[in-house]
Amino acid sequence: MSEKVNLNVNGIEIESDPNKLLIEACEDSGIHIPRFCWHKRLDPVGMCRMCLVEVETPRGKILVPSCTTEVGDEMVVDTESDVVKKAQEGVLEFLLINHPLDCPICDKAGECPLQDQTMAYGPGESRFVEEKRHFEKPINISEIILLDRERCILCARCTRFSDEISGDPLIEFIQRGNKTEVNTFPNEPFRSYFSGNTVQICPVGALTSTSYRFKARPWDLKSTRSTCNGCSMGCSIELNSSQNKMLRILGVDNDAVNQGWICDKGRYNFEYLNSDSRLKNPLKKMDNEFVEIEIQDVYSELSEVIKDKQTKVNFLLGSNLTNEDYVAFREFSEIISQSEKSFYLNDDLLFKGFFGDNIELAKIDDLNSSDAIVVWAEDLKEKIPVLYLRIRQAVKNGVKLVVFGHTNETLSDIADVYYGKETVSENFEIVKDVSKLKEIKDLVIGKNITAILGKATPYQSDESVTKLFEFLNLNTNSKVLNAYSKGNTYGAFKTLENVKGLNDFVNDISKESTDLLFIVGADPVGRSVYSNQIKSIIKGLDIVVSLDNFNHETSEQANFVIPISSTLGEKEGTFTNIEFRTSRIDKLVPSPGQTVSDWEFITSLMNFAGLTVKTNSLEDLNTKAYENLEDSVSPVFDNLDKPSNLDGMVNVSKPKISSSVRTLIKTMFFTGEKLYGDSVTVRHSDSISLLGSKKYIEVSESLAEKYNLTSGKCTLIQDELEVTVSYEVSKSLPNDLIYVPKNRRDLNKFDFSREINIIPSQVKEALNVN
Amino acid sequence: MSWDDKLLKQAKKIIKLYPQKRSAIGPLLHLAQSKDGYISDDSIAVISELVGITEVQVKSVSTFYSMYKQEPTGKYLLSVCKSISCEINNSSEVINKVQEFTGLNNNETDEEKLFTFEAVECIGACGGAPAVQVNYETVEGVTSENAVNLCKWLKETKPEVVVADEMQENFGGIKSFDWAIQDSSGATSTAPGFQTLKTTKVKK
Repeated sequence: MSEKVNLNVNGIEIESDPNKLLIEACEDSGIHIPRFCWHKRLDPVGMCRMCLVEVETPRGKILVPSCTTEVGDEMVVDTESDVVKKAQEGVLEFLLINHPLDCPICDKAGECPLQDQTMAYGPGESRFVEEKRHFEKPINISEIILLDRERCILCARCTRFSDEISGDPLIEFIQRGNKTEVNTFPNEPFRSYFSGNTVQICPVGALTSTSYRFKARPWDLKSTRSTCNGCSMGCSIELNSSQNKMLRILGVDNDAVNQGWICDKGRYNFEYLNSDSRLKNPLKKMDNEFVEIEIQDVYSELSEVIKDKQTKVNFLLGSNLTNEDYVAFREFSEIISQSEKSFYLNDDLLFKGFFGDNIELAKIDDLNSSDAIVVWAEDLKEKIPVLYLRIRQAVKNGVKLVVFGHTNETLSDIADVYYGKETVSENFEIVKDVSKLKEIKDLVIGKNITAILGKATPYQSDESVTKLFEFLNLNTNSKVLNAYSKGNTYGAFKTLENVKGLNDFVNDISKESTDLLFIVGADPVGRSVYSNQIKSIIKGLDIVVSLDNFNHETSEQANFVIPISSTLGEKEGTFTNIEFRTSRIDKLVPSPGQTVSDWEFITSLMNFAGLTVKTNSLEDLNTKAYENLEDSVSPVFDNLDKPSNLDGMVNVSKPKISSSVRTLIKTMFFTGEKLYGDSVTVRHSDSISLLGSKKYIEVSESLAEKYNLTSGKCTLIQDELEVTVSYEVSKSLPNDLIYVPKNRRDLNKFDFSREINIIPSQVKEALNVN
Repeated sequence: MSWDDKLLKQAKKIIKLYPQKRSAIGPLLHLAQSKDGYISDDSIAVISELVGITEVQVKSVSTFYSMYKQEPTGKYLLSVCKSISCEINNSSEVINKVQEFTGLNNNETDEEKLFTFEAVECIGACGGAPAVQVNYETVEGVTSENAVNLCKWLKETKPEVVVADEMQENFGGIKSFDWAIQDSSGATSTAPGFQTLKTTKVKK
């Protein structure tokens, strides 16, 4: 325990940890010091001088910036003296010299720190009569971010964020003095997965997003706190709506999870809610055509089917359900069937994971307190972006990072040790004796380790990751963070008894085993490596009911398509994240047409069929979800709504994943997913819909030679399918391997376990001849 | 890469002098300046790759310092001091005459790409005011007449290397110090002449 220091601020004695910044110590004691550049998650710079306070020194009282001054014992500080007030007025007058008076058309107006602080601390009148500085208004610094340099007060929050936090410094100060501006390098736009955060932390309206620009005034917004279900991180978010339309998502500072940051997909992937192509009414397929019907008719038709005790029902559940939805399906399956039921999750990577009795599961915060982090999983930056930020943060704090495999190349830049293609083969096996690697001896053996483990690609054998796990378990004091990346996967683990992955779905489901299949919020035909197999399986079934927001490649094959309300702002529930932290999902906007929640649909259906239903309301389901937990720790609504639990409640549980063990499928393709892909929701979110449109593959050097690929484009050919893609020759891929982002359009249609022919593009050849 | 092997080799030598690669960015920018007469975006891309930071970070440094030119300069960069000592000793007259002779406003380059003119803040030669620099080679005690003569000489002979001592002898007056070691090496480009950068040469 470090000793506290005492200081006197405005005549009040306060206590603080040593080494804290004065502005932070005051903030903790409820004394607010105005500021623009200082942000508690960024390093201090002392750019704006707004936080000047008077501190007593042997030479008398002097003005110091409180954001760069550490507290000291018996320090005497005045934050409200006349001198301080004069200084604040002066600073604001300078800041306002070049700041345009376009508040009436500025998105930030109403929630603008510059506006607020000018009201509170500024000079009443302006003495500036000269011409203000002019820049072109606004410029696009990326597809989704706009920059108005006239409004910028040069606080460096955005540039520091992109340098320190997200690690892609594509914006910087250009020029000097009066000419200083924030800008990008020509033809090098601010393409960052985290760029939206800079808009949120900008203390003026200099950075705005194309998505929210001119949509609403802050005082018209309704807001609520919720949880993002985009990946398994479960970032805390604030939803903003106006006139019943969702308009904006902001990151909320949840210390244990996202610390205020969210990825751009999480921030802008809500626009689909307002899309015209959203399903509003249930559809029934008649003569191969969908016709709109009333939801009552769906209930009556389906209830006839499930009344028959012999009906064999199966479930393919996506990852965007709430825990309550999962429980509703569990209840349903228990009522209609005596035998134990399996639930198939829409995840082609699902495997048993590491949840055994002698395994300690890691929390996200353990990343900061361990000696080293060992990663072998999917590409975390693409799949769990904010976890990537937390790893970056840990590395910045001195934690060592050991990364295995070409699958996590994005981490190699910050890794202390990166075991690339020399160590991990094209079969995704570690070909060297791990215990003999020098760096492992130095950094890992005998240390406190947080291991982030998961499968990198569906074709990888389960055994390969298990081997690394066993080594770590034996030789280190390790905690494991299982890196399942999809949405509410952990909620499914928590609420469902027996979950399986898509590979088991392909093996188990047939006309014999299934009369009625529910596909909920899942598009495995559009987005999995089993695309073609699943398509033919579904085609062969009698009745398939798809519940989703949009019609997609999977629902096209269904007999009924039910429009459901989105988990993003259209329903209430709970979400469980990667560290088994359960937090609240809240409702802010109504859902369109005859949409229903998943749980409403299934509960109504059961009632229609005359079954005895024990869980008739969301509260019932919520209670049921956590019935085996003690009241005091159970994340039921009542507990989650307590102020102390807003950040969620952690209840680690050991899930039963009965996924069958997979061995390596020998293929020269390594499939992964990019953050922006061709999912239905991204496609219908205008501002980000084009970000995932580039079709490309990465080819290892040996294959580039084999197929005579030098630069440009090539065509992939399998049976009758031909797709032209651009390609990059990758030095980090092992020989004989091709990386395919399978969530890009058309690329999902290939069966990558079979041979695919690759030829350099004709166009390119023609050019070479000339 | 738009830099030739010789330049790249030199750049790598410079990088090795620093414990962190990115610390070499200053001298590398001088190298870029000596190559093109300004910091081109191509050079910025090369430097960013060499030292492992993003292009915009290099751009940020290069636009901060006024000695890294953002526009192409002429063969000779004429910098006339306008700070207080020189101003008292009539540097405004020097500036006027040089501008008259070259026909250039501040920070302009002529069409033949011979001269770039700039009036600059203190160049550390207050004792020998008014002072002038040609490609950062300082000449002190320059009268307005001699300044024009200096320009004429540059225009007529177009020397590859400009040497401070030589110009001082022919066009200078009182020097700040008279005990400095004789130095017959001078600048070969509009980057300052540094041995490590090989932007300096002995005039034969």
